[in-house]
Amino acid sequence: MKNYLDLVLFYTKTHRKQNRMSILCIILSVFLVTSIFGMADMYVRSQLIKTKRDDGNWHISIKNISDEEASLIASRPEVKSMFCYGVLNYMLDKGYTLGEKDAVICGSEEGYLTQIWSDTIPEGAFPQKPDEILVSANAKKELGLKVGSQVSIRDASGIEYPYTISGFVPNPSMIARKDIYGIFMNTDTFRDFYPDVENGEPADYNSCFMVQFHNHRNMRRTINDIKEQFHLSDSQVGEQSMLLGMLGQSDAGNQFFMFIYSAAAFLSALVLLAGILMIASSLNSNIAGRTQFFGMLRCIGATPKQIIRLVHKEALCLCRLAIPVSIAAGTAVIWILCALLRFLSPKYFGTMPVFAVSFPSIAAGIVIGILTVLLAARAPAKRASKTSPQAAVSGNVDHISPVQETYIYTAPCKKSSRPAQPAAKQSVCPFLLRRILTHKVDIILGICHALESPKTFLLTVSSFALSIILFLSFSTTIDFMKHAITALKPWSPDLSVVAPDNTCSLKHSLLDAFQDSTAVKQVYGRMFAYDLPVTVNGRSSTVMLISYDAAQFKWAGKYLIEGSIKDVEQETGTGLIVSAPQYNNPTEIRTGDTLSLITNESFANIRIAGMVSECPFNTEKGDIILCSEDTFRQLTGEEDYTVIDIQLSRKATDSDVEAIRALAGSEITFSDMRMDKESVLGANYCFKLFVYGFLFLIAMVTICNIVNCIAMSVEARIKYYGCLRAIGLSYRQLTRMIVAQTLTYALTGGVIGTMLGLLSNKLLFEWLVTFRWNESWSVPATELCVILSITTLSVALSVWAPVTLSKQRYHTLHHDI
Amino acid sequence: MQILQVQNLCKTYGTGEVRVNALRNVSFSLEKGEFAAVIGESGSGKSTLLNCIGSLDFPTSGSVLIDGNNLFTMKEEERTIFRRRNIGFIFQSFQLVPELNVEQNIMFPLLLDYRKPDSAAVEEILELLGLKDRRHHLPNQLSGGQQQRVAIGRALITRPKLILADEPTGNLDSRASQDVLDLLIKASRQYQQTILMITHNNSLAACADRVLRVSDGRLSDMGSSGKKGAWYRDEKLS
Repeated sequence: MKNYLDLVLFYTKTHRKQNRMSILCIILSVFLVTSIFGMADMYVRSQLIKTKRDDGNWHISIKNISDEEASLIASRPEVKSMFCYGVLNYMLDKGYTLGEKDAVICGSEEGYLTQIWSDTIPEGAFPQKPDEILVSANAKKELGLKVGSQVSIRDASGIEYPYTISGFVPNPSMIARKDIYGIFMNTDTFRDFYPDVENGEPADYNSCFMVQFHNHRNMRRTINDIKEQFHLSDSQVGEQSMLLGMLGQSDAGNQFFMFIYSAAAFLSALVLLAGILMIASSLNSNIAGRTQFFGMLRCIGATPKQIIRLVHKEALCLCRLAIPVSIAAGTAVIWILCALLRFLSPKYFGTMPVFAVSFPSIAAGIVIGILTVLLAARAPAKRASKTSPQAAVSGNVDHISPVQETYIYTAPCKKSSRPAQPAAKQSVCPFLLRRILTHKVDIILGICHALESPKTFLLTVSSFALSIILFLSFSTTIDFMKHAITALKPWSPDLSVVAPDNTCSLKHSLLDAFQDSTAVKQVYGRMFAYDLPVTVNGRSSTVMLISYDAAQFKWAGKYLIEGSIKDVEQETGTGLIVSAPQYNNPTEIRTGDTLSLITNESFANIRIAGMVSECPFNTEKGDIILCSEDTFRQLTGEEDYTVIDIQLSRKATDSDVEAIRALAGSEITFSDMRMDKESVLGANYCFKLFVYGFLFLIAMVTICNIVNCIAMSVEARIKYYGCLRAIGLSYRQLTRMIVAQTLTYALTGGVIGTMLGLLSNKLLFEWLVTFRWNESWSVPATELCVILSITTLSVALSVWAPVTLSKQRYHTLHHDI
Repeated sequence: MQILQVQNLCKTYGTGEVRVNALRNVSFSLEKGEFAAVIGESGSGKSTLLNCIGSLDFPTSGSVLIDGNNLFTMKEEERTIFRRRNIGFIFQSFQLVPELNVEQNIMFPLLLDYRKPDSAAVEEILELLGLKDRRHHLPNQLSGGQQQRVAIGRALITRPKLILADEPTGNLDSRASQDVLDLLIKASRQYQQTILMITHNNSLAACADRVLRVSDGRLSDMGSSGKKGAWYRDEKLS
């Protein structure tokens, strides 16, 4: 032993059991912070992967500049790479085809595919010669191509242009969705091929330049510099705002990101505060039980500063074990989450590392852990340093409460050396004590114990309230998630078969044939009639009439605003009107209105029997009316479907999809939406894991915090209970006393927490949701019920544990005196 | 050479009806190497006097000078440092650090003063206490008398100007009490150590060089002690 601070090592070694709760509190806080940062890190990583994969790893695109200007920009040191990219027939309106299908033709340099879209030539090589092209993988499969095969691109006038296949690129989701082919040429070939332009500027070839910067902090300034130097307007420079936003380089005007960051900072501060309160109350209770020890140290010459250093070192010693354990646990949770995400959505999260180590989360865990402990130790250290040296010489120092002080005040004991307290400093306890004679002494004493020290009361009530505030605040992320992530609707198909020219020409037998496939989970058809002239309430407009079958009516039931779906299903001549103001598609038609339709040059009436807020379609003009298949046939005379949607079973393979495609024939448009669906599912899983995982952790913190608070409070009074036991306190009375004390904390904390929590919930809701989606706030009743139930459960647990402990120790309580 | 000078010390608790005068104009002094005992009934003001001398409590008026230094004109930090260098405490309930062994407990005040313990000095104290073979024992492995001996060692290690002992034998049986008292007397003689001891036990007080009685907050000097002293005979008679 060389230094007085070494005492801490001896103390922590011999009081492992006593420190267990404090260590648990630190572990929980650091684990929480590590997991939060880790999960956030994973979310950002997955979003970066998604954005780079779906939209390309570029930061800005510049159009309407010359090749010379492009070379000058590319030579800037901040620019990592810059590639020209042009596209022909993107809207499928120029009539270029490959085989029998529409083709989108792109022209770029090799780097565009290898650097902006990494690893996108799995087979073959980028076209080097003027007659070489790359084609999408679906063309390879459907046209039976291989590297070196000869193909011809046909233009609208039927002229064929022969090319050699140099390689293949994977199908972008748009290719699969629209059932078209993609063709890639090098820039020179593309410009030669581009019709009606010769020696033009890049813009004449519908081209722009995609720029990727080196990762640096001043991308914003670089972008502005480039704009200024080349006199570029805002419309000439497009930004990959998602990627820039995630790199913290988004436009300063992007308030939404600012609100997200503000909300994150606010929530982090709450977590920090919860950790501080939790550890502070644990340390405080530990310190309170050692008044005599600190008094003795003061007597033998320890200065208040030395006591503060001792307590700080004691707190930091707890971190030695707690921080590595919690970081290991947090990292394990991140690994489990990663594995879960990979398992749930391999296509979306397949690139995530199996054992990802999140250094920001480890750093955050260490920094926040030490910071929390030091901040939490401040008050207890100060309290310990203020211990009077008299505490060591006085025999009765463990727990001098206002109750006892009152006793001293009214009947000063000669042995006591404590000065009488001024009347103004007395707590409410004497008032309550006066009622002891007329009320149950155990309950009143329990309430007195809760109120006896304003600081402890405030600390405990704050930690109850903070748990509720934390839960209610975080629960706004659920609302955010519901709005931010495009949720899959029950009707979202995996495959869609669309009739040529959107006519009603898909036979019922085709639907039955699909139904017979084992790979198909559900199949449903719709008939469409577009732009039907209609008169309603003296006003003329057009409507889109769509037929629904039983399954689709069932799904629509969830979105029914008024009226009855059953009526529409069963009665012919009735329909549902779609009112979707969220998509800027409100309607003036109301339930009960009768519309006069002109179909096949004859008039027919349809009565609106209900209104729904969602449907899978939208129209740029007019309204959408949903009706039964019988009504549709009666009104239009059409028998067959326009669209047949297919949902696949989990076991469905690519060969099953090919079989379905073959069954559908070549005349139709076959849209494969599995990749898009997978993508949405992946984003949903990720966000749900993050949000619900977080809420679960907060619930855990709430339970531990409350149980810990009460357990420590009881432990600190164990000698006092021994005295009461000696003078005849029964076990039942002891239980009632602890329950009364706990309820005093819980009710006060519950009321304050609910009020402040709702306020915080409203504020965050406005930041995260109202600002973007214009939805107004309402009381989060479910979340409130959940957290209040958790609090009640915690209170029950917190009473049960010490009461059981006291029961075990009841018969020996007097030994603790 | 006067080590302790107490002048007109008063201590009052409360006001009005509940006013308690714990000490009333107490004055006395102790010479270097003197071993004095303070006796008195419970609640007479003995502990208050000791607390004020040890600067653990503030007097209402009066002064306490140790080696010519007025304790109550010092700032808190200065007073604490002065206390750890010049006043040693021995408590009724020993107040050892339970996590530290005998040797570590004894050297702890030196560590608080950022001094390197002199191993020879520690050995000497252990020899004096008769605890050489128990140096690595924890307090809970020792008897009450042995624990109090460790507390005496801890008080002696800094060679303080004054040792204040608050009923050091209060928790001990008569044999252990006599051992502790013998040790205090030995320390007083060997190190010329000034000691002020509170006790209830008149026979123990009789072993001191001088006896002071506190009664209702007033101090009276009973003069030099010894079993043949006048005060002892009076006590025996009463």
